[in-house]
Amino acid sequence: MSTDSKNTTVKLTSMEKQRKRTDLIIEIIVIFFSLIIIVPILIMVFGSFKDSTEAAKFNILPPKEWHFENYVYVITVGNIGRALINSLVVTFFSVLFCMVPASLAGFIIARRTTKISSRSQTFFMIGLYAPMNMITTFALLRVTGLLGSYFAVIMVLAASQIPYAVYMVSNFVRNVPRELDQAALIDGCSSLRMFFTIITPVMKPILVTTTVLVTMNSWNDFMVPLYFFNTSSRWTLPLTVYNFYGQYFRDWNLVFANLVITALPITILYLYAQKHIVSGLTSGAVKG
Amino acid sequence: MQPSKLRIEKTLYPGSLIIPAAIVFGFFYILPIIMAFVMSLTDWNLSRFYEPKFIGFENFEYIFNDPKFLLSVKNTIVFAVFTATLKTVLGLVLALALDRQLKTKNLMRTIYYLPAVLSMVVVGIMMKSIFSLDGVFNNLLGSIGLDFLQKDWVMNKSTAMAVVIFADVWRWTGFNMAIFLAGLQGIDKEYYEAAKIDGASGWNMLRKITLPLLMPAFTINIVFNVIGGLKVFDQVFIITGGGPGFTTQVLSTYVFTNYSQGLLGRSTAMSLILFIFVYGSSSIVNYILKKKEVDIS
Repeated sequence: MSTDSKNTTVKLTSMEKQRKRTDLIIEIIVIFFSLIIIVPILIMVFGSFKDSTEAAKFNILPPKEWHFENYVYVITVGNIGRALINSLVVTFFSVLFCMVPASLAGFIIARRTTKISSRSQTFFMIGLYAPMNMITTFALLRVTGLLGSYFAVIMVLAASQIPYAVYMVSNFVRNVPRELDQAALIDGCSSLRMFFTIITPVMKPILVTTTVLVTMNSWNDFMVPLYFFNTSSRWTLPLTVYNFYGQYFRDWNLVFANLVITALPITILYLYAQKHIVSGLTSGAVKG
Repeated sequence: MQPSKLRIEKTLYPGSLIIPAAIVFGFFYILPIIMAFVMSLTDWNLSRFYEPKFIGFENFEYIFNDPKFLLSVKNTIVFAVFTATLKTVLGLVLALALDRQLKTKNLMRTIYYLPAVLSMVVVGIMMKSIFSLDGVFNNLLGSIGLDFLQKDWVMNKSTAMAVVIFADVWRWTGFNMAIFLAGLQGIDKEYYEAAKIDGASGWNMLRKITLPLLMPAFTINIVFNVIGGLKVFDQVFIITGGGPGFTTQVLSTYVFTNYSQGLLGRSTAMSLILFIFVYGSSSIVNYILKKKEVDIS
């Protein structure tokens, strides 16, 4: 018996050593290939502080002189301040009008065992598979007089993401024990109060993840503002930056500065919230 | 027992709470899709916005005889197949690597996921700089002695599509990785312990335990990759604008072209075809993969 277990230990430690060696090799490979992501980002960030000729060389060297005035120029001439405010407004309200209705619906769909649950689920799932029809949405907005308004873009963005949010939330809630809700009923809570005081805290992980993902999608969306904002004063950052690039495509330092401004807020949000993303994807998307 | 249980369910979880989401989604998303079925049968034009005339299937007849449309369908399929495959495979490889006990595991996960949070405008313009005539990619080719390959990759008819595909893969591989990582975390470690005791090799464990149990993650990734690939707009619009010539024009960008010319009826018919295309293929892919998931468990 004892020799047998000794053998196993010896075997295990040699396996352990081999595993460590493999890990080291894998680590080196993974780090090497991450350059494919790091190099373009470095070129962009460093390039945004260079002068026009230096930036056009597209190398990863830090700038010889740091031209912070690129940013000042871009913000004043490129109308970035206005675009930033537009982006904030559109993103904030589209996330709000997506997340509040979707989390209510997702919760009910997960809890109800009747037809209403399966039917609404099928209804919302259409949105996961079917692309939005831009042309008839344009027509609908024009007929209702909403075309070109913040409200239109906000609602279209919210509507297009409600299916994802419903999907994530309902998958998560299915794994939350029902006892919690019953306790609330005994306490005499109304269902809305129960939802906001008892269920929402339990759903916090999935709400955070989904909110972060929806925020990123709204912030980065290009197509909806392109189709439905006809005046440039309402353009969000991606659209403004695209247009700026069309005019200043020879001044890569300015273009890069513009890109950095667009990417920065969402990157900060990502770095801040990243630990929620994988855990939220586990409970909301993959388990389901 | 049953009726009272149902009553409790109804008071606790009123179906009316679904209504707000259903209204927003129904009005701004589903209603336009229904409208498309009607409007695609008209000669609807921006200059006669309120006077569309019924013309039957004329739009569809025109579209299917339009070589540009057929080319854009072909390009869309090429884009979707290549990006979906590359993103899934590379995402899986990355996830398997970063699921191991590497020292830089968390940093690498952060870096590989980062492109997924950037706007396609940022990614697209960045790619234009990288693959331009004096961009990094050509410099790299020059430094390893492959000068003869140097060219303007975006403006070249035979390579423009590859650049667009690269941009999409660059952006979304990390997202596929995250879904696979989430799937890997859900696998019970006891399976591996048991397999190790039985003396299973790493390769066998991957084939017999990891991959089958990752099926739900595969389904999500492949379905989303196919949908995203067929719907592709931003990548093409920003990087090539459909050119050079017509070599990278895809369905969504061709719809936009027709829309900007005021041809609302025709572009609605096109987007309806896109709708059927995406809905059909993603449903089929989903059905096949879901069946596999059931087989395993």
